Amino acid sequence: MSTPNTKVVLISGASGGVGAGVALACASAGWNIWIMARRATEAQAVADQANTHGGFAQVFVGDVGDPASVRSAVAAIIESHGRLDGIVHNATSGLSPMPTTLAEVPFADVGDHVGVSLRGTYLLAAEGHPHLVAAQGSFVVLTSEAGFEGKARLPVYAAVKAAQRGVIRSLAREWGPTGARANCVAPLASTPAMTAAFANDPAMATRVLARNPLARLGDAEADIGPVVRFLLSDESRYVNGMTLMADGGSCPIT
Amino acid sequence: MTTPLVIGLEEEHARVIAAAIDGELLVQPNLDDGSVNWQWADALEVWRNLANDGPKADQIVVALFPKVSDPASLDTIDLVGWVERCEVAFARWIAALGVAQRRCADGGSITAIVDRVAPLDSAGRSAETSVSDAVEALVRSLARSEGGRGVRVNLVTTPARLTKLPVVDPQPPLTSFPGQVADQVISTCRMLLSDDAVALTSTVIHADGGRSWR
Repeated sequence: MSTPNTKVVLISGASGGVGAGVALACASAGWNIWIMARRATEAQAVADQANTHGGFAQVFVGDVGDPASVRSAVAAIIESHGRLDGIVHNATSGLSPMPTTLAEVPFADVGDHVGVSLRGTYLLAAEGHPHLVAAQGSFVVLTSEAGFEGKARLPVYAAVKAAQRGVIRSLAREWGPTGARANCVAPLASTPAMTAAFANDPAMATRVLARNPLARLGDAEADIGPVVRFLLSDESRYVNGMTLMADGGSCPIT
Repeated sequence: MTTPLVIGLEEEHARVIAAAIDGELLVQPNLDDGSVNWQWADALEVWRNLANDGPKADQIVVALFPKVSDPASLDTIDLVGWVERCEVAFARWIAALGVAQRRCADGGSITAIVDRVAPLDSAGRSAETSVSDAVEALVRSLARSEGGRGVRVNLVTTPARLTKLPVVDPQPPLTSFPGQVADQVISTCRMLLSDDAVALTSTVIHADGGRSWR
């Protein structure tokens, strides 16, 4: 269902974690949500939950780093709704929480990080831009505080998160004259990936929480989802090229 | 003091930087295949793993200056072009900084030098901007991981090769903008490598005549 007040939004990596939280937050506004993910069962579970939140959710099983997959996802949305108002790129490599060093990281792993995060950003932007122009829509990429400060044990993850911000900064200037916008959100949330990172580095939980003025991790649906929804909405129509920190003040970039 | 090590590509800027600091130049291989499935990365991984075993150096400069492409909006860059402009460059920096990590002596200093356009001038440079931002994060990651053994890691950026004039107002404070790579980065690089910068690590210096303010 689409009404003039609803949005049609594609969200990558929304089968769990922050992506699921974003999907549920958008669903609660009555929006049409397309969940793009590789894990069909988990994605459908999020879609089912979104449908109980007042939204209209569908699943597209696909790989955001694969051109044909992204092309098909966007085509399916246009065929179904005739429009695409927003794109959220949340998917990250499954290797994101795995410690490594630059001196030793296998390049197959580097390729996986780049394929999902960075190539995914490129593909979604290239495929989605004409539709975002038509809708005067918005592209939002989920990055990380790691992209600002670096991570001793997660250098490749930090690098792809920073690289995404670079793309968005340029896109904001390239797309601005067309009316389409591009922004980032850097969340700090309790997610399966964060749980895995804590398991790999037991001292990490203490480090992460000790510096956070709010002394807690964010909730993907209640704390992060609404921030992304804001950047997708017309209420943020003059916000462009920014990275909005949704991290409780953990990473003091001002 | 050991002979400084300069890690670069087969091009003039790396040679000039190596000569300026009396360093030994370690050249990354040319990658003939820009395939979208990363077949070229095998050669890069082999190079890194071999180079990792070289002698330690107290001062290392990583200065990768790939061929400059014309500015192009992201929408007009096909996937092959994106891989060449962004992904290959990204992977090259991973390999080069990996070698620097392994070969920098305890208490030593690593300085990276990367092309970067100022945010105001970043339209048409999405691929290059993504790489320069990635390098900032890589430098900060290395500064964190190597700080415990006294290694400092810093970054100098230069707009000299990527900026197309004229740029939008306001014009940068220094009329020398965007300048030449060697003129703008070598003295800053020397300072960061030296003991004069003993408290500087994870620092990014934009040698861009005041064009950036972040």
